Amino acid sequence: MKTLLTILAVGSLAAHIAEDSSGLLQHPKFQSSNFENILSWDSGLESIPGTVYSVDYKKYGETQWLAKEGCQEITRKSCNLTMETGDLNEFYYARVTAISAEGLPSTKVTERFNPLRHTTIKPPDVTCIPKMRSIQMIVHPSLTPVHTGDGHQLTLEEIFHDLFYSLELQINDTYQMVNVSPGSRAPIRLCSPPWVRPPHAASPPPDRTWT
Amino acid sequence: QEFQFGPCRVEGVALPRLLEAFRTVKETMQIQDNITSVRLLQREVLQDVSDAESCYLVHDLLKFYLSTVFKNYSHKIAEFKMLPSFSTLANNFLFIVSKLQLSMSRLNDSAHRRFLLFKSTFKQLEMETALSKAFGEVDILLTWMGKFYRL
Repeated sequence: MKTLLTILAVGSLAAHIAEDSSGLLQHPKFQSSNFENILSWDSGLESIPGTVYSVDYKKYGETQWLAKEGCQEITRKSCNLTMETGDLNEFYYARVTAISAEGLPSTKVTERFNPLRHTTIKPPDVTCIPKMRSIQMIVHPSLTPVHTGDGHQLTLEEIFHDLFYSLELQINDTYQMVNVSPGSRAPIRLCSPPWVRPPHAASPPPDRTWT
Repeated sequence: QEFQFGPCRVEGVALPRLLEAFRTVKETMQIQDNITSVRLLQREVLQDVSDAESCYLVHDLLKFYLSTVFKNYSHKIAEFKMLPSFSTLANNFLFIVSKLQLSMSRLNDSAHRRFLLFKSTFKQLEMETALSKAFGEVDILLTWMGKFYRL
């Protein structure tokens, strides 16, 4: 009789673990800008103090989940997976497991993430040099955390070959918008290839249409 | 705007439009596929495809999507109210295949092997699972096709 009870107990425990007590954890998702890929999530409605979180990740199609070092049994609700998701053309998943103080787990998986498709572009760093009768605007190449096989750190311009910048000049109440490609000397407008999501712009151009 | 798959050139297809069409249904589609350990369009199918292979491979893949995936999954498409996006994808795939057909002379063995690898992985899955996984991988297919796209 004892064995039967054990089986019943294990059975229900197994069912419990498999069942996703989603009260502890919700909305795990990647947020990416300039290829800095941050995983974040929210605590669930029933989340209680003492809940800790562990993060795993993998490439789509692979069987093995890999534990993210530095994001095991943490209390914060974000984890930097930039280094682990550095292949621009690859597709990734991440998984968060929340464990309550009583030891009950809840696991949620992100949507499929592709850095090239999902990253947004931040406005570039600009140095402004006023002169007697002109202003020189130097747009600095935006370095990304992406490296080539030989260790070269890529800029946005090297990733998006047809990237160009938009400079918006405000003279009294009038605006002037001009486009220029990196390396040239005319004023600039930030536009990216069609499949990249719109960026955050420090001073968004009035007309935000993307080709 | 044109695709240049090696010797095969296809004008008049706007890749951004296809990407946008899929983006609107991506979440709905990929949620249907919870087998994250199996990928149909895996690296061995799409990586390092030569120009010479690309025309044959894209032809075989798009034809399979039209004749098998889209055809057998249309009931789900209607259920999920995704007909506009689905039509955009299907019509453009049809157009591309028709243009490719005109310039293809003979078989390319290595391209065919890549396609057979994709197809065998598809066949190993239960039909409904395979259909939703294939549809959910349209962004992988379009990302690869983007390498042959010229603005």
